[in-house]
Amino acid sequence: MRLILRRLVHLAVVLFLVTLFVALLTAMLPGDPVDAIAGFASEEQREALREELGLDDPVPVQYVRWMGDFVTGDLGGYYTVTGERPVMDRVRDSLPVSLQLMVYAQVLALAVAIPAGVLTAYRAGSRGDRIANATAFGMLAIPNFALALVLAYYVGVELGWLPVSGYVRPSEDLVEHLRRMAMPAISLAVGQIAVYMRLLRSDMIATLQEDFITMAKAKGVSPRRVLWRHALRPSSLTLLTVAGLNVGTLIGGAVVVEVIFSLPGIGLLLYEAIVSRQYVALQSLVAIIAVGYVLINFLVDVLYAVLDPRIRHARA
Amino acid sequence: MGSTGTGGTPGRRRAGDRWGGRTDRTDRRTDRVGAARRWSRRPAPTWLAALLALALVAAACGGGGDSDGGATGDEDAGDPTPGGRIVYGLEAETIDGWCLPEAQLAISGIMVATTIYDTLTRPNAEGEMEPWLAESVEPNEDHTQWTIRLREGVKFHDGSDLTAEVVKNNLDAYRGAYPARAPQLFIFVFQPIESVEVVDPLTVQVNLKQPWVSFDAALHGSGRVGIMAQAQLDDTRTCAENLIGTGPFRFVEWVPNQHLRAERFEDYWATDAAGNQLPYADEIEFRPIVEVDQRLNALQSGEINAMHTSDPQTIDELRDLDEAGEVNAFESSEFGEVSYVMLNSSKPPFDNITARRALAHALDFEEFNAILGAGILEQASGPFAPGNIGHLEDTGFPTYDPEEAERLVQEYEEETGRPLSFTYTTTQAQATLAQAQLLKEQAEEVGMEVEIIGVDQSTQIDSALQGDFEAIGWRNHPGGDPDGQYNWWKSGSPVNFGRFNDPEIDELLDRGRTTVEGREEIYEQLNERFAEQVWNIWIYYTPWTVATAPDVHGVPGEGPSAPEPFPGLATGHPVMYMWVEQ
Repeated sequence: MRLILRRLVHLAVVLFLVTLFVALLTAMLPGDPVDAIAGFASEEQREALREELGLDDPVPVQYVRWMGDFVTGDLGGYYTVTGERPVMDRVRDSLPVSLQLMVYAQVLALAVAIPAGVLTAYRAGSRGDRIANATAFGMLAIPNFALALVLAYYVGVELGWLPVSGYVRPSEDLVEHLRRMAMPAISLAVGQIAVYMRLLRSDMIATLQEDFITMAKAKGVSPRRVLWRHALRPSSLTLLTVAGLNVGTLIGGAVVVEVIFSLPGIGLLLYEAIVSRQYVALQSLVAIIAVGYVLINFLVDVLYAVLDPRIRHARA
Repeated sequence: MGSTGTGGTPGRRRAGDRWGGRTDRTDRRTDRVGAARRWSRRPAPTWLAALLALALVAAACGGGGDSDGGATGDEDAGDPTPGGRIVYGLEAETIDGWCLPEAQLAISGIMVATTIYDTLTRPNAEGEMEPWLAESVEPNEDHTQWTIRLREGVKFHDGSDLTAEVVKNNLDAYRGAYPARAPQLFIFVFQPIESVEVVDPLTVQVNLKQPWVSFDAALHGSGRVGIMAQAQLDDTRTCAENLIGTGPFRFVEWVPNQHLRAERFEDYWATDAAGNQLPYADEIEFRPIVEVDQRLNALQSGEINAMHTSDPQTIDELRDLDEAGEVNAFESSEFGEVSYVMLNSSKPPFDNITARRALAHALDFEEFNAILGAGILEQASGPFAPGNIGHLEDTGFPTYDPEEAERLVQEYEEETGRPLSFTYTTTQAQATLAQAQLLKEQAEEVGMEVEIIGVDQSTQIDSALQGDFEAIGWRNHPGGDPDGQYNWWKSGSPVNFGRFNDPEIDELLDRGRTTVEGREEIYEQLNERFAEQVWNIWIYYTPWTVATAPDVHGVPGEGPSAPEPFPGLATGHPVMYMWVEQ
């Protein structure tokens, strides 16, 4: 309970700092949102619009107004000349796309990295280990946007196996949904696979030197059971921490990958908000990402305790 | 190049090739369409260009170019077959939607707008306006009053009728005299309108404050001045996303950044020149695919069956694919925009002609084209692209001459006691930054000093408006009547961003606006004056290509009253003529 409370305070502080930082940063940007929405409008029109949108208010006033709305679930609206364009409408459509992309990428990365990490640790120094390591370095060295373009051309155009752009909701057609998410997820996952595999491998090697492993082996436990039941769990802590922190990297990567594969996710919204000076939308989007990031890392903390009883007991 | 159809490689046709010589076309058309004759010499509205540029600057400043026209192999494709689905990859999403009086549409937005809406007028093969949704658009003798007669029996997609009342309300909305709408730029475009009156259920009379010979061109607004249904016009909440027009396709669904779907409008009023019902296709879906390589990948893998681009590398690739029969590609720089370095003549160093000439002589277009243009770009020697009145192959604009450039740099330094150094402002798109880098290298080779300032789009426009630049990468002046450029170049105009004050240009602009005969010579003189004074460094005419799957045809379509289409692509093309082999 105390942990949760502490985390909530943590969340509030992070949210406040991140959004305040964004507010200050956008205030320092050259240019004016009115340029983006009203182009060559007359000075009177621009003034009127500025006043209507509250852009004349000092940054702290704008910030407090936004924060007041945000904490009550109102993400604000895009600046428009007439009509309403609530940010929530766009977020509702886009958030699931980005979440799906990140979950697929993360699951894929872990699904490949864990067995690879375990096996290379078990066979450390073997030829297979060396090949796996070299491959991992290679994967790390490929920027995700480059991989995305190469994949799109060879898998999408030359082989014609997967579609190269667009999004289909899982509720519409699950198979088509997965087909369309495959290349974006792979593009994001490849770099992560390498990181996770290397991390897990080194932790596993250390764990395999521990007394309790020697003990298990001495008791005649099969190597497979030793690896997967005894060694993997205590070796996963660093991996888990990094997987949590890596959500940040994934969000960054998702912006690029979403643009390349035309996936209508949060990344695209963020990009749009920046280039068209939609400060309210930008702040809300950044806040949502910050909340998500803190929550995921909170979840990671909880999982520590599940994975390693020593942590649980220490806290108790 | 494309204007007179100097030809292209076999298989890839250019705009001119297909339809024969210009003169023939003019003769045929003017015989048939009385109204067209007037249009041919009429100036286009000045602010129209402003409007165009705003949107295009937004989309532009980044892209590459494309050039003249080639057909999609249509002549060999046989007769259009109705049915099928077009999936069209666009270069950008129109995030602010299509509440037309308030919208700021770039090419992708115009593509959608002309799919859902009709404009009262539309250009023919020569770029002259002809009635389209209107049956006729006639001025009085001194061009202070225009009478728009509407077609009978035209329905909006919501079943309501096209009436004079709706058209009046639309025009009032565009000019800022309709309470529910808040237009920005169109207020300037339609400033000369005094009042709009309903004469009878199908006739609207527009009274002007002054003679305006090109009012009919303003009614087209490069496809931006569509007529919306009353229901959309009055929609104060969702006008931007509930599209209701009279156009060939009825709006079905828009999911931003994903797709915009529209289906064939069964009650569409128009037929093609042979009398076939339009549109040909059953459905159209627009997909914004920002990454140009991915747009091409999607075309090649069959996910989309049409796309557009102004990226030279991609255009080059499309030429090969067209030759190999893998795609149909139509390419055009006719009536296009010019990409250039805009110089600020109100402050050093470019208030000095020696500096301007030095920079012009320093630009090695061959190298530029080879490195950044895939060798396909056509060097510009003035602001008017092929097809436009005033276009000249050679205006006398200074050509690449590094020794002369070096000499002029020294001369400038001796004259002023300062080194010739300047800032070059550009957007941060990869293509524009690469251009900036190359221009910097070329200028520095002859002894100048250049600092590149990378900014985003809004800041770039702001810098131009405020005059806060020395040199800036720009793209503007799309085709149409050259009078459309009046405000861009007139001394003291707020959008004369280069801030040059040239009495000779002022005089030519005024004469071009008021003179009926000899306008060609007037604008040719203006073009030469630009070259002589080097107010800007012209680089290339921006080419566009529309590519389709081999079984998709009908680009660029037909003209309003004849099979010959308007050959320009800089502001899109009508999709109602696109068809899929069945």
